[in-house]
Amino acid sequence: MTMWKPKSLAQRRKLMLFGLLTPPTVFLAVFFIVPLGIMLVYSFLEPGLYGGVVWSFSDLNYGRILGWADTKYEKFDPVYLGILFTSVRLAGLTVLLTMLICYPAAFWISRMSAGKKNLFLFLITLPFFVSLVVRLFAWVLILRPTGFLNQALIGLGIINEPLEIIYTDLAVIIGMTYVFIPFMFLPLYASVEKLDMSLIEASADLGGTKLQTFLRIILPATLPGIVGGSIIVFIPALGNFIVPSVLGGAKVLMIGNLIEQQFLSARNWPFGAALGMMVMGTVLILLIYYVRLLSREDKNAEAK
Amino acid sequence: MLKSLRKRISALSVYGFFFFAFVYAPILLIVVFSFNANPVNMMIWDGFTFEWYKTIFGYQTALTESALYIDSTEKLHDAVKNSLLIAFTTTLISTVFGTAIALAVARFRFRLRGFYRGLMFVPMIMPDIILGIALLVFFVSVGINLSVVTIIIGHCTFLTSYVFVVVSARIADMDEALEEASSDLGADGWTTFRRVTLPMILPGVIGGALLAFIISMDDLVITYFIAGVDSTTLPVHIFGMLRRGIKPEINAIATVMLLFSIVIATVGLYLRSRKP
Repeated sequence: MTMWKPKSLAQRRKLMLFGLLTPPTVFLAVFFIVPLGIMLVYSFLEPGLYGGVVWSFSDLNYGRILGWADTKYEKFDPVYLGILFTSVRLAGLTVLLTMLICYPAAFWISRMSAGKKNLFLFLITLPFFVSLVVRLFAWVLILRPTGFLNQALIGLGIINEPLEIIYTDLAVIIGMTYVFIPFMFLPLYASVEKLDMSLIEASADLGGTKLQTFLRIILPATLPGIVGGSIIVFIPALGNFIVPSVLGGAKVLMIGNLIEQQFLSARNWPFGAALGMMVMGTVLILLIYYVRLLSREDKNAEAK
Repeated sequence: MLKSLRKRISALSVYGFFFFAFVYAPILLIVVFSFNANPVNMMIWDGFTFEWYKTIFGYQTALTESALYIDSTEKLHDAVKNSLLIAFTTTLISTVFGTAIALAVARFRFRLRGFYRGLMFVPMIMPDIILGIALLVFFVSVGINLSVVTIIIGHCTFLTSYVFVVVSARIADMDEALEEASSDLGADGWTTFRRVTLPMILPGVIGGALLAFIISMDDLVITYFIAGVDSTTLPVHIFGMLRRGIKPEINAIATVMLLFSIVIATVGLYLRSRKP
């Protein structure tokens, strides 16, 4: 009898674990892992004449983007790489702007009293819960030729003609910066909060200038937050097609818009899948870099 | 020294003011101009009106009697109904799934534990357009018609992760000894779960559920790709309006959505901030 009970307990725990994991595992395997696998496979197939795919291997979908092609009908066009670079540039500028805006704000809030801190953190996260389309629509109202900004500038006598801001790269960058502020703020704040203020005082006492203190103490100490925030902003910004299609109109094309076109209007799924895989590849490289950076930080911490 | 310190703090506070102005001005603008009576240019103030609120709630007014308006109001109401149905169902499923995986990973040792932990972060770091098109390709290839059901499935695939993260954080704060004490006192696994574990993690579960609800209500990218012809949601509907041309009642729709999200977010953040 005594031998039987623990065995049953172990078995019962096994059964419990099985019960907990099986339903979500089956669900995620079928609706998450399989779809991503299908997309990877499709990126190596030929497009069907009227949408869909032809089951024959082809690396031309990548060739059209990266520079090889057969002469028959799949042509290499540098325009695709150009769009990828445009996307990287716009996403990069978004990262830079959100960082410049959030860095001082993180210091500002980190110096508040505990109660005030919580209130202000809440106020910063709150717009994040306001519908994305609603927030972008607000920027349409502000940036349009007849919009709020132009009316204010004309009213103040600063300009005579309305500025053409909407449907430019600038409008897209403003929109993405606005949307991704919470993504940058929270990781930055987490590392600024941990910063030991006595180190800054020590640096000043030892005769360090403000610039030296910033470059040699504050910047290295908050680096994980800077890199983390940058990656969390860069990833959704890179593949974004909502902001460019609302604020960039037909004039600003990012890789996300190109992917959308390939799937919904051009109906060239293999090519669209290959473009998607290029985005995924870029994201993966970034993440591997970040994980390496973090593990190096850990090793440094251990060495100390 | 003290003087320069004070100066620096006040400079930061001025910065803080502009920071919040930047974050909140666009939102306030929508709320204010949702009461603007000007039907042509939304940005030129032409008197106060409730017209647009009446329109979106389906009351006919002199301005909106035309068949075109009634049709678009009906579409709006269908989109709202779809959004709510999808959000409720998704929340229910993803909360159960996410909590189950969080419990399994936190309380059991098994070979694939690390795999599950990693897997649950993949949907959060993947660009949503990738998941959107992968699901579209999958549903069409397998021959499943795009509908409200496919949207619910799509939402559950990534919202399970969000629930997992929120619930896991709560379990990490919890004292495992309480569960051990419960089983030492003779409670079986189910009783321990119901009487000890669940009440302790409940704020995390509710917080995760509210987050899932709000993200499901707002999701645009994934829904956009897998929404069939008859299964528009509210964000997709508004996105369409933004692309086709803006009508003044969009301000009122946005304001109502805003109020709705703020109420849910406030409840959620309040529950999350409560200590275990």
